Amino acid sequence: MHMANELLSVPVAVGTLAIAAAGLGLVCRKARQIITSDKFALMGIMGAFVFAAQMVNFQLPAMPGTSGHMVGAVLLAIVLGPHAGAIVISSVVIVQCLIFQDGGLLALGCNIINMALVPSYLGYFLYRIVTTGPSSSLRTYIGAMLACVVAIEAGATLVPIQAALSAVLAVPFSTFLITMLGVHLLVGLVEGLITVAVLAYLQQVRPDVVMDSLPGKVRLSRKAVLITLVVFTVIIGAGLSLLASGMPDGLEWSYAERPDQPNFEPAVSNDDPKIAAADDFQSRYSPLPDYSVRASELGKAAEQDVEAAAGWTSFAGVAGSGITMAVIWLTARLLRKKRTPEA
Amino acid sequence: MHHAHIDKFSYQDSPIHRLDSRVKFIVVLIFTAVVISLPRTSLSILACYAVGPFAILVLGKIPLKFAFKHILLVSPFVLVLALSCPLYDKTPVTVAFGPFSWQSSLGWMRCFVILGKFVVTMMALIALVSTTRFSDLLTGLQRLGLPKLLIIQLGFLYRYIFVLIDRAHHILRARAARSMRNLGLKAELKIAAAMVGSLFVRSIDTAEHINIAMQARGFDGSWHTLSKLRIRRRDLLFLLTAASFMLGLYLLVKPVLQ
Repeated sequence: MHMANELLSVPVAVGTLAIAAAGLGLVCRKARQIITSDKFALMGIMGAFVFAAQMVNFQLPAMPGTSGHMVGAVLLAIVLGPHAGAIVISSVVIVQCLIFQDGGLLALGCNIINMALVPSYLGYFLYRIVTTGPSSSLRTYIGAMLACVVAIEAGATLVPIQAALSAVLAVPFSTFLITMLGVHLLVGLVEGLITVAVLAYLQQVRPDVVMDSLPGKVRLSRKAVLITLVVFTVIIGAGLSLLASGMPDGLEWSYAERPDQPNFEPAVSNDDPKIAAADDFQSRYSPLPDYSVRASELGKAAEQDVEAAAGWTSFAGVAGSGITMAVIWLTARLLRKKRTPEA
Repeated sequence: MHHAHIDKFSYQDSPIHRLDSRVKFIVVLIFTAVVISLPRTSLSILACYAVGPFAILVLGKIPLKFAFKHILLVSPFVLVLALSCPLYDKTPVTVAFGPFSWQSSLGWMRCFVILGKFVVTMMALIALVSTTRFSDLLTGLQRLGLPKLLIIQLGFLYRYIFVLIDRAHHILRARAARSMRNLGLKAELKIAAAMVGSLFVRSIDTAEHINIAMQARGFDGSWHTLSKLRIRRRDLLFLLTAASFMLGLYLLVKPVLQ
């Protein structure tokens, strides 16, 4: 569920980047109070562990060919505590972006929120709620399972919301949301299964790890946890209902927001006389439009000429760029060849 | 400290490699924002924008095959979403390109614009990452104001990611050598959990050893590097070129091509 640059608009990207930066700054400050410098190595290696653990895949029974692997946010939050866990997973997301080019630079804010901050805290809180009280392994397993499913679904819910706010995709919001929730229910279940299995293994081999011995454990009062959860639910619920009622899909949102591109969708723009006028103006005087929406209505030869001219302009643009790239490539190649015999 | 398969090109030397990491990062960030903010309907202008990262890739001596393979590798999610556009947006449009002109739908235009933007911004990101050493990038990011804790975390993560990936490869090879068939979910899950769990325990132990070694050498939580970042004349020149490239495209080509 790595968000890509292209699915976001610039305001949404900048907004989420700002939120992620502020959140991460806050988390770092909080973590600084709890974590001493002798835990830095542990946190770093836990991040590397996430990458390595993601390579361990296993066959899923129902669908041959697909295989599951773990994401690790909840496991780290349980073992390291939410603050350190959030920092570790954020660093994983940043490295995935910078080194593996998974998700874009502008989408980094979204990705940090969706995959690091929300799952870490939500997962930890849920796990804590279930496991407070007398400790039993069944409680631990149920807590971990629940935490994984809910945390991943929460992150997955945010993806269509961000995409709908950006209005780049043509997919209706509800379809996108249902698809994401369905796919990530499966992802969450697999994640939960493997997290539970790993916790069971660790309880046998290194029980101290699962108990409270590692750093960054935050003692949370039940009240604080419940309040956080309620606030989070309200925010998500409010956002969802706002999107569901106000804009049935991302497309209409975009038209409402973009009267500057009137020739985008005739069905909507025709309703508004102002937009229709602008549309008319644009179709008549626009400097060589790339394509024409009203192709089916075009009958006049003059407009067809304009269209053909537009075709030639875009052709020139693409061809020119292609030639420029070819020239750059050839020049570099020739220069390099010249240099190699000398060396 | 670097892995042969992932960032092998960031240790080369070229005019682009020698630039200040801050300048490169900011230029790529702004370039990405500019490309993303292009209208969702004009495809041909993307080709003009592609010239920029292409030039950097070529100047930085990054094999183009490597770059495009990488783009292909990370594309599935975007590809699925982009290909779903034609299903939902069937407004007919006539596309004219040179001597050709054909009927298409707005959804296909959107699809190709999304894919085009994806390729262009990914080219820029690859150009940044494969011409900059990660440690330099981190120093630059710290100067730009990222929290120190996060920078240290990223530095550690980058150092050990390849070590642990190698370990995971060993474990995977061991499993592959011993398993002849699919054993069903329960057994497979148990095996995978044991693999992840043992990796986890070993990681914790490694961390403890590293920590002791670092404490012995006086690590107090701050990071000292020898690389000094300075904005030199060539950095300003690069900044100027990039700015004029983007401004020029914005002012001259965009009004014509749209």
